[in-house]
Amino acid sequence: MKLLTEHECADTSVTLCRSCDLVIRKRALPSSVRALCPRCHTPIYDAPYCSLNGMLALCLTAIIFFIPANLLPVLELHFLGSIRTTTISEGAMAVANQGYWVVAIAVLTSAVIAPGLLLLSVLSQILIIKYRLQVPFFRDILKRLLKYHGLLSQLTMLEIYMISIFVSVFQLTDYTDIYLGMGTFCFAMLFLVTLFLQREYHLEHMWSVLDD
Amino acid sequence: MTSPSEQPQRNQGKDLGLTLCPSCQQLMSHKATHCSRCGSTLAFRDYSSLQKSWALLITAAILLIPANIYPITIFTSQGQTRHDTIFTGITHLIDLNILPIAVILFTASILVPILKICGLTIYLLAISFRLPISKKRLMVGFHVIEWIGRWSMLDLFVISITAAVVNMGQLLDAKPGPAATAFALVILLTQIAAKVLDTRLLWDRLESQDDTNRNTESS
Ligand SMILES: [Zn+2]
Ligand SMILES: [Zn+2]
Repeated sequence: MKLLTEHECADTSVTLCRSCDLVIRKRALPSSVRALCPRCHTPIYDAPYCSLNGMLALCLTAIIFFIPANLLPVLELHFLGSIRTTTISEGAMAVANQGYWVVAIAVLTSAVIAPGLLLLSVLSQILIIKYRLQVPFFRDILKRLLKYHGLLSQLTMLEIYMISIFVSVFQLTDYTDIYLGMGTFCFAMLFLVTLFLQREYHLEHMWSVLDD
Repeated sequence: MTSPSEQPQRNQGKDLGLTLCPSCQQLMSHKATHCSRCGSTLAFRDYSSLQKSWALLITAAILLIPANIYPITIFTSQGQTRHDTIFTGITHLIDLNILPIAVILFTASILVPILKICGLTIYLLAISFRLPISKKRLMVGFHVIEWIGRWSMLDLFVISITAAVVNMGQLLDAKPGPAATAFALVILLTQIAAKVLDTRLLWDRLESQDDTNRNTESS
């Protein structure tokens, strides 16, 4: 690899590593292959291909599961003839009522608010790109949504909440009868569909839509 | 100065007057103040990020102490109340023979926070004092820290689920303890400390040292 001149950098065949600032010459990649920085192994770019319709389908499915996942109980406890159930938000409220609102905010943000906003944001992005890209007002909204996408997807921790439900079940089986609720099934589906949606979604590709 | 043919890998964006937009990865001239595509403010290098990261990390390290010595769960069963710290909670699970869960919670609540704080400390020390540690190894470690950090949330989720469902007065009751807030803040602060750091500083700073070494060798 030779030293690149300023002229060569004007085109789009060159990029920089965001972790170590190395100049990298872009090459065509087969799909689902990721280019890593040769110096620090940060993922640099991949062949961005998103099927808008596929993403739209996944996104709508996820939104459909989101509602029962949050409204139906994730755990049921049977104790001396009485039944206690809890949803995700009730769990957060229970710790907030004890005065641990930092914990409550952390739980609510990563298991309810961030995933919900993420799905709504992706849905709006797809709809804008499909139908309203030429309108300056919607282009501006798309820009804002793309800017916050990274933050939202980092705050989304569905997989960790999923494991937590199972850990709680195992911890409590010694003391009482505990059952998984319908909410757990919807939550698991929400987690799976969101996982596939995030695999399909490429932020870089979404930005490039704004270029042309 | 090193010649390009000898050191092809030393070709950094700053040598060409280029910088990358932090939010949309658009390539920009380092003279530009705002990104042409998304309008974000461009920072060629964020030198203040080192201090911010240190401040957050030190606060997190201090909070790790109350997070581990105060009880994180208060569990009542048949009139008897147990105050469990993170550590005794895990030993209790081992006594109950639920080993896999004990291993998961030990990793998420003890191993990951400590690894994260130690790892970030080494990383920041390497930048601040230009320690001779392999940059590649540091960067791989940094990516691992960024990725595993979120798994510490596991314990907090478990506490909130348990506290909501186990709520039967004197017979069976679970409540969070004072360590829960400290622990939540440790996760939050270490996560932000890794996020705010401009990792390009590591490569700049150690780079210049490497160059001086090479010059003295060749002369
Ligand atoms: Zn790199
Ligand atoms: Zn930008």
